[in-house]
Amino acid sequence: MSDSATTTTAEAQSPLREAWIMFRRNKPALVGMAILSLIILATLYGAFIFTGDAYDIVWAPHEPPLVTPEFPLGTDYLGRDLVAGLLTGGAPTLAVGAAAAAITMVIGVAVGALAGFFGGWVDNALMRFTEFFQVLPALLFAMVLVTLFTPSLTMIAIAIGVVSWPQTARLTRAEFMKIKNLEYVTAARAIGAKNGRIMWRVILPNALPPLIVSATLTVGVAILFEAGLSFLGLGDPNTMSWGLMIGSNRADFLEAWWPVTFPGVMIFLTVFAVSLIGDGLNDAFNPKLRER
Amino acid sequence: MALLEINDLKVEFGTRYGPVTALDGVSLEVEAGETLGVVGESGCGKSITALSVMGLIPSPPGKIAGGSIKLGGEELIGLPDKRLRQLRGSDMAMIFQEPMTSLNPVFTAGDQIAEAIMLHQDVGKAEAFNRAVELLDRVGIPEARRRASDYPHQLSGGMRQRVMIAMAVSCQPKVLIADEPTTALDVTVQAQIFDLLNDIQRDFGTAIIMITHDMGAIAEMADRVAVMYAGKVIEQGVADDILDNPKHPYAQGLIACIPALGKGDAGRPPPLAEIPGVVPPLHLLGEGCAFADRCAHKYDACAKAPVLGGDTAHPVACHASAEARI
Repeated sequence: MSDSATTTTAEAQSPLREAWIMFRRNKPALVGMAILSLIILATLYGAFIFTGDAYDIVWAPHEPPLVTPEFPLGTDYLGRDLVAGLLTGGAPTLAVGAAAAAITMVIGVAVGALAGFFGGWVDNALMRFTEFFQVLPALLFAMVLVTLFTPSLTMIAIAIGVVSWPQTARLTRAEFMKIKNLEYVTAARAIGAKNGRIMWRVILPNALPPLIVSATLTVGVAILFEAGLSFLGLGDPNTMSWGLMIGSNRADFLEAWWPVTFPGVMIFLTVFAVSLIGDGLNDAFNPKLRER
Repeated sequence: MALLEINDLKVEFGTRYGPVTALDGVSLEVEAGETLGVVGESGCGKSITALSVMGLIPSPPGKIAGGSIKLGGEELIGLPDKRLRQLRGSDMAMIFQEPMTSLNPVFTAGDQIAEAIMLHQDVGKAEAFNRAVELLDRVGIPEARRRASDYPHQLSGGMRQRVMIAMAVSCQPKVLIADEPTTALDVTVQAQIFDLLNDIQRDFGTAIIMITHDMGAIAEMADRVAVMYAGKVIEQGVADDILDNPKHPYAQGLIACIPALGKGDAGRPPPLAEIPGVVPPLHLLGEGCAFADRCAHKYDACAKAPVLGGDTAHPVACHASAEARI
């Protein structure tokens, strides 16, 4: 790189930096980020502080919270420590949510982009295909997938991804149909850009704000979906997750509210934090909201 | 042989009224270093002509139904997509009407120009960006290096149009199509943009097709003029000739529409002239002259469509003027 080019990069604010400046202005998004960071840190490193094993039966069942100092949140129906359960169950829950959202985005954006960009019979074929998945009852379909194959976390993530992508596809298609007729797309063609370049470099970056928001919402939906599957007993029984905790303790809810409520609160906080972040990302990646 | 030759070009659009002819036998030519002005009201087919040359007619619904477009002797119609893409941007480029919307909002001005350069030339990113900065400087953007990292929304309308011009001339095209490049800009900026286009033409020998409805812009820029109406060229000639001595009633009307600044009778400015009516919808075009219903000189012969003819240096498509009735 020549000297002058280096100075340019130094002077120019990198797009990521600018995005971060915009993101910082959105206070709720910062709160969301703080909450999510805390949750992630806790699930990654919490086990080093609270060294209990989530799978061990350590006390009498249904010990209420704040009674025994060693088990501040009490124990579940088997007498397992809830703090250890929440810390151990966090990572699988978050991983499934993130993976499912990623699968959703990849399939949804690819299908929606092709359909919206090319239109005509491509659009027709892809949209009928999308509708096929859209009319499948998502939960039932995911249940079938999980039942047919091993109920591992990977399978659950795939099942959630496969049933959630149609919405993303529809959203992407709508954005592409709108943006492909704008003048700067014609201008990009007029300088000789290829279809692929126009799709991914010209249209997609402009379609991103709603897609990012939808992706973060999908993370939330996926976490809830995983909880739902676990609640129905279709989760991976050998891996602790917040959904599994709610599912396995639900029968005793009237006697002991805490083994169900605490994982529920964790799920709520996570989904809530992720939505706040999504809103912040929307601001951050929308250059029209940027000022000098 | 001229640099760009358009011959008997026909373009059709499928509509709910069936196919309509948007361009009906348009023939134009431009030499290197020359500016051809194409004038007419909205809906006359000016932009469709430009998009046809670039191979950018939206298809469907649009379709080139006949004729030929030759750039430097190479037939553009039916050319494989790959070759057409090579030509776009490098041999022919286009500036759009609305600088507010013709730049991609999520990339900086410099990045967009660099991208255009990298599409056609084998240079690295840093090199392309430096060239972009030089181009921005060339089109008169102050502090080009700093401005290169501005996003389009941080630039004024005039600056954006300069960026568009920089992008269009980045690979020194032989033909530059300017589709109403100054319509969205105010008058002072307009004059600057014209100067810039004239400079670029002088330096690179670019042929410019200037599409406009503004006769003032024509007087400023064009060497030759083609007047279009309802998808046809109805009068063609040297710019001064057309401005001083328009033959077609429509061209006369367009020139009469230029507002006068001086005082008329009773110390008030003369009233604004207008051409009554609007361009007829293309699906309602009949056999006769498309302008007849708006024309003060309409007579029996107008029931048949006139053809472009008469003086080869200044042909016109009008029965009335051909018979010197006006």
